[in-house]
Amino acid sequence: MDAYRAAGVRLYALSYDEPDALADYAEAHDTTFTLLSDPDSEVITSFGILNTLIPPDDHPWYGLPFPGSYVIDADGTIVAKFFEHNFAIRSGPEQLLAAALGQEFEVPAPGGSEPADRVSVDVRIDGDRLPMGVTRQIVATFRVPEGQHLYSEPVPDGLVAAAIELDDNDGILSYEPVMPPTSPLTLSGSGDTLAVYEGDVVLRLPVAQNARNMQKDDDGRFVTISGQLRWQACDDVECFLPESIPFSFRVEAGFPVLGDMGPGVGRVPAMNGAQHFQRLIDRRAGTEPRDEDQ
Amino acid sequence: MEIELDTRGGPSSGPYFEDAEGFNMPEPPGNGSRRIPLGDFPTGPEVGSRLPDIVATDQAGRLVDVHADRAGQPAVVVFYRSAVW
Repeated sequence: MDAYRAAGVRLYALSYDEPDALADYAEAHDTTFTLLSDPDSEVITSFGILNTLIPPDDHPWYGLPFPGSYVIDADGTIVAKFFEHNFAIRSGPEQLLAAALGQEFEVPAPGGSEPADRVSVDVRIDGDRLPMGVTRQIVATFRVPEGQHLYSEPVPDGLVAAAIELDDNDGILSYEPVMPPTSPLTLSGSGDTLAVYEGDVVLRLPVAQNARNMQKDDDGRFVTISGQLRWQACDDVECFLPESIPFSFRVEAGFPVLGDMGPGVGRVPAMNGAQHFQRLIDRRAGTEPRDEDQ
Repeated sequence: MEIELDTRGGPSSGPYFEDAEGFNMPEPPGNGSRRIPLGDFPTGPEVGSRLPDIVATDQAGRLVDVHADRAGQPAVVVFYRSAVW
């Protein structure tokens, strides 16, 4: 939250819970951002994102949204949105903040050994942990010398688009990449128009892990994410050979923090989760005790 | 929009069921809380449009109008399943 405050970006999180459930959650987790209560799913329905796969009599699940996030600018215009089909996946805070800041990213200084007329690259993970189901982004920065460009998909045979490619990492899932705007370039020979990147180019690939392949050693649980960056630089006259560099990250991993719903009370902050869950069912199923019964 | 239910996945260890992306839970895919779409599904207002008004009660019992409350700042609005479960 400090990063959001420092960046001047507000955070709102809306669910179909009652305000007092949110109050208990906020107290248990020291929540400093705004939790919003939509117990009748009115806002969710007005956005058109009510999960209509859930029958209206399926309590307490009916009323859930297709979960996702909207990022808006100072004028209130949506500049990005992230929705994944599996509700077990949610966008990590770094990813959302980066979108709110226009995907800005501090471009690292070129490596000392890299001549200034060649593309220099940097790859890292934005965020220091990868809890199950919460995305982080692999961030690849390409510093492209003036007069050169990289290609975006699709490219004709023989050219290589700039991309982050993952190896077949068991337990690691990847999602729609976030790519910067391209400019059109018309090839003088064929007349084909291709989409190219110039200057400092930042590609972001959201990844998550499903907890099926976490490893553990003395430093705790972790996952390994490996792959390579690929690119091919061209100038107005010729193309250089395609290049790639491998990467491999060891990322601290774990399970997300849940409510105190079941066994394991004491491992998570207490927020009367079971009572709130029962009330959620009762209110929706119409089995709420009447006042005189209490 | 026709929305297809994702029922892929099956039993894993003990009382658990694993969905197509390897997420493990006590409920089988396609049941109750795990009713998720397989293909396209609605994601609400499009990028480039104004975020529709949101007026709702916050954790302090205060009625919040998001566009007024953010006071000209950019914002992130997250729709998630529940703070309870």
